Amino acid sequence: MHQTVAAPQPMITTRTSQNLVNNLVLVLVLILAIPVLFRIPPDDFQPFLRLTTWRFLGMGVLATVGAALVSILISLPLAVGLGLMRLERSLWLKVPGVVIIEGIRSLPVILLIFYIFLRLELLHLPATPGLAVILALTLYTAAVNAEILRAGILSLEKGQMEAAQALGLSYWQRMWLVILPQAFRRTLPTLIAQFTTLLKDTSLGAIIGFLELQRRGTILFQQDKNVMATLYIVAIIYFILNYVLGRASEWVEAQQSRSPARAVGA
Amino acid sequence: MDEASFGLMMSGLRTTLWLSVTSIVASLILGTFIGVLRVSPVLLLRKIAGYYVEFFRNVPLLTVLFFVFLGLPETGITLSIFNSGLVGLSIYTAAYVAEVVRAGLQSISHGQTEAARSLGLSYAQTLQYILLPQTFRITIPPLGNLLIALVKNTSIASAIVVPEVMYQAQVVEGRTFNSNIFLFAGLLYLVITIPLGLLANVTEQRLRLPERSNA
Repeated sequence: MHQTVAAPQPMITTRTSQNLVNNLVLVLVLILAIPVLFRIPPDDFQPFLRLTTWRFLGMGVLATVGAALVSILISLPLAVGLGLMRLERSLWLKVPGVVIIEGIRSLPVILLIFYIFLRLELLHLPATPGLAVILALTLYTAAVNAEILRAGILSLEKGQMEAAQALGLSYWQRMWLVILPQAFRRTLPTLIAQFTTLLKDTSLGAIIGFLELQRRGTILFQQDKNVMATLYIVAIIYFILNYVLGRASEWVEAQQSRSPARAVGA
Repeated sequence: MDEASFGLMMSGLRTTLWLSVTSIVASLILGTFIGVLRVSPVLLLRKIAGYYVEFFRNVPLLTVLFFVFLGLPETGITLSIFNSGLVGLSIYTAAYVAEVVRAGLQSISHGQTEAARSLGLSYAQTLQYILLPQTFRITIPPLGNLLIALVKNTSIASAIVVPEVMYQAQVVEGRTFNSNIFLFAGLLYLVITIPLGLLANVTEQRLRLPERSNA
């Protein structure tokens, strides 16, 4: 790696950690203030003192994160394909690329989930809610990520492509060795941010009975009649998952702007 | 498609349009307010507005809608079905609007504020006459994208039985067992979202500020 090791800067570190502590205190105060503000009876939080409740919700977290992870992994190669199609000069590739990307992006995700769920049997696939959610989110994320990657490729200097061509590389070599790694690197923060949307969208699976976090929360509050308390806990879990992702995205961005390798393409 | 099904879908389309219009207006008002708070001189207001944005951007809309529709009645606040959808969508979208407005406000050169203040304008006047009109111009393209996302998000209100397109499609599917009704529903969404996208592009070009060289 070309990364230079930064000299330790104790002053800044102390200030940031002090800031972090201040923020954490404020967040804790807000977290405790909201149940008071909405007058959620403390007894409603009783089920959350039991380990079984947390295990039940924990399975939901696994399903949520799992579905999101599988979707993004399958969607990436699709996104690369769609993005490259749209960048082609030949209309036979460009037009289908535009139609697929814009069509899928313009539809509500929940509609894709419902339609795929009802069509799975015709495709001789098991009609499980989880599969429908993963397929729908894969398609949707592929269309969105195709646009992100396309913008990343377009942001690269033209000389990159020309130099690769001059070196005698074939189309796939140019893409695979020169263009895509740089485009991918540039768009990584945006792609991670897109993962937040994806994680939130898995909650729509609850509507067709996919046992993820929101669905399990619904089961809990229907059983214990503590809607506010349960939804509050569920919301905080979603918040923590996405907050961590958001910070990861910022971290990647900071790493990239620090690394000199970025200057090559800029 | 029989006449009754078509009628249901059309009434769903009306509800979707009305829900979109009302919640975009509400979320623009609330979002601008929160966006202004995010750059306010008072630290506590900045922080609270910041947490509002962070919270609602990181929580699924479905959870927010359930909270408004099923949770609030526990505290004695009972809203109609449509209003629950309206409130949930608006407080959720307002967080995104606030981010756009904040970015817009921060993109305006600080010299503008300084000039306005030295002319004797109050902070509120500076916002009203100098900063917000320019922000509005800059934020048209991202707000257009938010509007499209909002129209698509109204479909999630079907989960709290707001009788919009997605809900009516489920009703029709239950009556006729024909899942192609979802293709028709998709067409209805495309009829709204694709012209909106084109409109956003045209407005963006017409409202584009002349090239400026502000440091």
